[in-house]
Amino acid sequence: MSKHFTAKKIIFYVAIIAVWQTVADANFWPNEIFPSPWEVIQDLGYGAADGSLFYGIGTSMLRLIVGLAIAIAGGITLGIFMARMETVNQTIGSLVLGLQSIPSIAWVPLALIWFGVSDAGIIFVTAIGAIFAVTINTYTGVKNIDPHYIEAAQNMGAKGSKLITLVLIPAAFPYMISGFKQGWAFAWRGVIGAEILFSFLGLGFLLNVGRQTIDVSQVIAVMIVIMGIGILIDGLVFKRLENKVMSRWGLR
Amino acid sequence: MTKLEARNIVKYFQHDDYKLKALGGVNLKIQEGDFVCIVGPSGCGKSTFLRIAAGLEKPEEGDILFDGKPVTNTGPERIMVFQEGALFPWLKVVDNVEFGLKIAGIPPDERSQISQRYLEMMQLTRFANSYTYQLSTGMKQRVAIARALVMDPDVLLMDEPFAALDAQTRELLLVELQIVWQKTKKTIVFVTHNVAEAVVLGTKVVVFTNRPAVVKKEVSIDFPRPRLVEDQKLVPQQQKILAELKPEVKKRMESE
Repeated sequence: MSKHFTAKKIIFYVAIIAVWQTVADANFWPNEIFPSPWEVIQDLGYGAADGSLFYGIGTSMLRLIVGLAIAIAGGITLGIFMARMETVNQTIGSLVLGLQSIPSIAWVPLALIWFGVSDAGIIFVTAIGAIFAVTINTYTGVKNIDPHYIEAAQNMGAKGSKLITLVLIPAAFPYMISGFKQGWAFAWRGVIGAEILFSFLGLGFLLNVGRQTIDVSQVIAVMIVIMGIGILIDGLVFKRLENKVMSRWGLR
Repeated sequence: MTKLEARNIVKYFQHDDYKLKALGGVNLKIQEGDFVCIVGPSGCGKSTFLRIAAGLEKPEEGDILFDGKPVTNTGPERIMVFQEGALFPWLKVVDNVEFGLKIAGIPPDERSQISQRYLEMMQLTRFANSYTYQLSTGMKQRVAIARALVMDPDVLLMDEPFAALDAQTRELLLVELQIVWQKTKKTIVFVTHNVAEAVVLGTKVVVFTNRPAVVKKEVSIDFPRPRLVEDQKLVPQQQKILAELKPEVKKRMESE
């Protein structure tokens, strides 16, 4: 079953590359505008050889991790307060829904004015792009906790921070994971988008350099790296976390 | 010594557009070490009465006194066992059982000593490292009882804990709960709609009327333990209680 699945995948990707190579060979467009797969691979090789690619990956990943960590910590806190205090929900809650509709890129001008061309500015865009997805999913998760869990815990003396860390967060965790997944996707888009506009190091900056030097194979190479990292983090971090929690709860 | 005393408890159910008087002035005294079973027609507020005793809800009028002091909040001396167990699915059985001890700040070594004892008492040792979804309904209720006993409460408040069990499992647990009660000498208040269950378990069976509920009758049950559901000598007591309960259930049907 899974072997069959892998075989299909391999055939699919080989086919894409074959079509790509054929179109490139046909010379409909000049080579500088539509490079062949081989040229893209070569460009990845250059980037790896001079270290610029790894430096870009490292810079973007660091910004992503810091921004996402801020978003997760802030989103959980905000979501719990919204779920547990009606006043907070009626006031800040309505604002959160509005703020979530702002694309993270739209925060870039503000970030540039406030933080200048700096890591802080990019991290700000990353965090604010992800925080509301975490907030809303945490809120929904806490709201959906079986009230008997909370009553039983309170009956056994849980209150305040112990109630939050030992009951509310673990009980809402299946929902919160959805928030983390959405948040991470928003954060990754936010980092790359902000790096393009800030033009200050990272993979987004490499895309910009590719555009400025009209090096299409570099642009495509970096895009493939961005996608690859996305697939990797989704599979290694979030799918694993989700599977672990779901099987523990007996939900799968 | 009186452990719990209900004084004229009045409680309304609040629906969107109307109020329903559920408890119409309940008076009840429960002595230390009693095993009191409360029966009544469905929807008469017997579970609500238990929740008030736990401190999970507040009555509109009246008080519940615990050791002579009015109950205002939940407390570890009055532990509730819920119908569905309300076990935490993110914790293993042993961690569920130790939850209250962890909250109380008891160190891990001591926690596991205490939980070990109750896991053994409820025959759960083999399942200590299971997650709750891996357990049958009967096993879950065993865990819920162990989790409550670990708190060493004065009073166990049990809200139809065996309602969802199949007949064989229920009979087994009815015997086990009697043994637990004899061993631990806890005061137990047990709400059920099942008269046979009440007569097997209780030192006293309290019949609630249809709502607004008041105490209609208190019947003492004085037979040696462990009692079994099929014990013929319990039948007259069952019939006596049913005779009190049936008119109330009828009133309940007519009011719908």
